[in-house]
Amino acid sequence: MTAEPAEPAGAPPGWSYNPSSWPQRLPLIGVALVGLGIAGYLALYQWGVFGSVFEPFFGDGSRRILHSSVSRLLPIPDAALGALGYVLDAVSGAVGGERRWRTLPWVVIVFGVAVGPLGAVSILLVILQPVAFHAWCTLCLASAVISVLMIGPAMDELLASLQYLARVRREGGSTWRAFRGGG
Amino acid sequence: MAAHAVVVALGLWLMASPAVLGLTGAARVAALVAGPLIAALGVIALSEVTRGVRWANVVLGAALALAGILVAQPWPGHVSAVAAGLLTAALSLARGRVTGRYGGGWRAVVGGEEAPPREAGG
Repeated sequence: MTAEPAEPAGAPPGWSYNPSSWPQRLPLIGVALVGLGIAGYLALYQWGVFGSVFEPFFGDGSRRILHSSVSRLLPIPDAALGALGYVLDAVSGAVGGERRWRTLPWVVIVFGVAVGPLGAVSILLVILQPVAFHAWCTLCLASAVISVLMIGPAMDELLASLQYLARVRREGGSTWRAFRGGG
Repeated sequence: MAAHAVVVALGLWLMASPAVLGLTGAARVAALVAGPLIAALGVIALSEVTRGVRWANVVLGAALALAGILVAQPWPGHVSAVAAGLLTAALSLARGRVTGRYGGGWRAVVGGEEAPPREAGG
């Protein structure tokens, strides 16, 4: 390595901070829980638990979106799937200690995979709302914003774990064992 | 960083522009597809580790500007799409400040040998 300043305790080699530290992870867990609240509320509406849905801006937009054909493509309402995604985000964000980028790479990778595609699906749904149904849904947009906000801040930890696995591979170690947290 | 925040605002404007400018047909769809993509990628590019997604916005912005020229629409629509597209592409060319160090970034993952001491994003 070149003469670079030493990384702080717990940080991956060559990093200026530890992406698995609680100050890095807690905000993401908190945001995921807010997303869970929103998506859970929308899912309950789609299941008919609530007779009406909060919609301050777009008239009957939320009602049309949440009862659209796309929302019923799967056996469960799309908001319920979103809620499950946020649960996975929060749980995989919370499991493991402050060195989990190295001790539990598979959890970090599950976390990254949960955050990334959930955000991508959210963007797709935001495009579909007005294009396919000529309507907007305030809380759906709020959930999409949350999903997208999580992506960038979550990817640093994924990068640290992937770098660790690449390092193990280069040094001739078992990537599989390291992936499961045996490194 | 500031550049990508402006890009986010441009994406949000594109999402609102069909209603504000009365766009219909292909012009409306172009704005409603490009808008959320540009805004979302702009948000992701705000993070240093994922700064590299700005290159997708360079392409998207250029494509939107081209569509703004080719797709028939009232002149405010042409102006909006071309201006927002060119601005998005130009601003997304800016890498911006990267203050953190990331152990060689994504190159350290895909590179077969010891990664060069280059930082994340790009």
